[in-house]
Amino acid sequence: MTSIHTLHILNKAPEHPRTAECMNAIRSGDALLLTENAVLALSILDDQAPMAQVYAIASDAIARGFGQSGTKATLVDYPAMVKLTAQAQHLISW
Amino acid sequence: MTDANMPARNNEGFLENANEWTPEIAALIAQDEHIALYEKHWEIIMFLRSFYSSHEMSPPSNRLFVKSVKEALGDEKGSSIYLMQLFSGTPAKTACRIAGLPRPTNCL
Amino acid sequence: MSTLIVIDQPPYGTWAGREALDMAFSLAAFDQSVSLLFMGAGVNWLRAAQQTNGIEQKSVEKNLSAAPIFGVEAMYADTLACAQYGLTPEGMVAGVTMSPNSAELMHQHTHTAFAG
Repeated sequence: MTSIHTLHILNKAPEHPRTAECMNAIRSGDALLLTENAVLALSILDDQAPMAQVYAIASDAIARGFGQSGTKATLVDYPAMVKLTAQAQHLISW
Repeated sequence: MTDANMPARNNEGFLENANEWTPEIAALIAQDEHIALYEKHWEIIMFLRSFYSSHEMSPPSNRLFVKSVKEALGDEKGSSIYLMQLFSGTPAKTACRIAGLPRPTNCL
Repeated sequence: MSTLIVIDQPPYGTWAGREALDMAFSLAAFDQSVSLLFMGAGVNWLRAAQQTNGIEQKSVEKNLSAAPIFGVEAMYADTLACAQYGLTPEGMVAGVTMSPNSAELMHQHTHTAFAG
């Protein structure tokens, strides 16, 4: 099981100031998990968060029309989310 | 004092306004709980009054009540058993009720 | 295992910060290692001499002063945010540690949770 240094869980839409804070705090070896309205970032993601593996909750993404997102994000279900949190040494819930 | 002088209380017997508290009211509320107030009780009651005037809140839970008493009055009094002997039921709730403080937010 | 609770919302007009404070106090009640970080508009929680009678709310300044009693380990204030809001150590409540690099502080804790 690969280890994640810090898993950043973000549920804010891209305009929320905390999104920028989150992007600034991401370091190499970290992972980013987008939930709820944060999945809207999938449309602009290729320019951001270059250092981290990016995941998004599938149901949230599909609901907003990002089912075939074509981005580098991996869509995950809730059991996979739990696995991610277990792989991470640190967790930040933005 | 008669019940007619009792300030407004909520459905759990806590004063609506902590500033309306007096020692006489404390004794009256304690009577409802079948508790006679002695020096040891007053020490905790006066501690809670001063805690409330400093922090504008009741200790939110029984654990934090015990912790706060321990911090202020030492290990012997800041213990669950000591406080349960003085204030039956859930000590934080009973003591706050008698001291005229709001209901501790996290006490079930 | 250590938790950092982050408050980045202003002290009045929203309940998010108070809920976060409640979470910090609950962790402390069960002797879990917990600290508070104030950043963004949240640093205004730390401003001294808040007089809340006029808005009929409890003073968060007074509520916060119970944190050390309950066992909250540290209160940090983001240095940049303090500068933005004109907060100097003299104008702040006692017991605050300045945090020049809040991202680093988050990475040092096992869990970081933002309010609201």
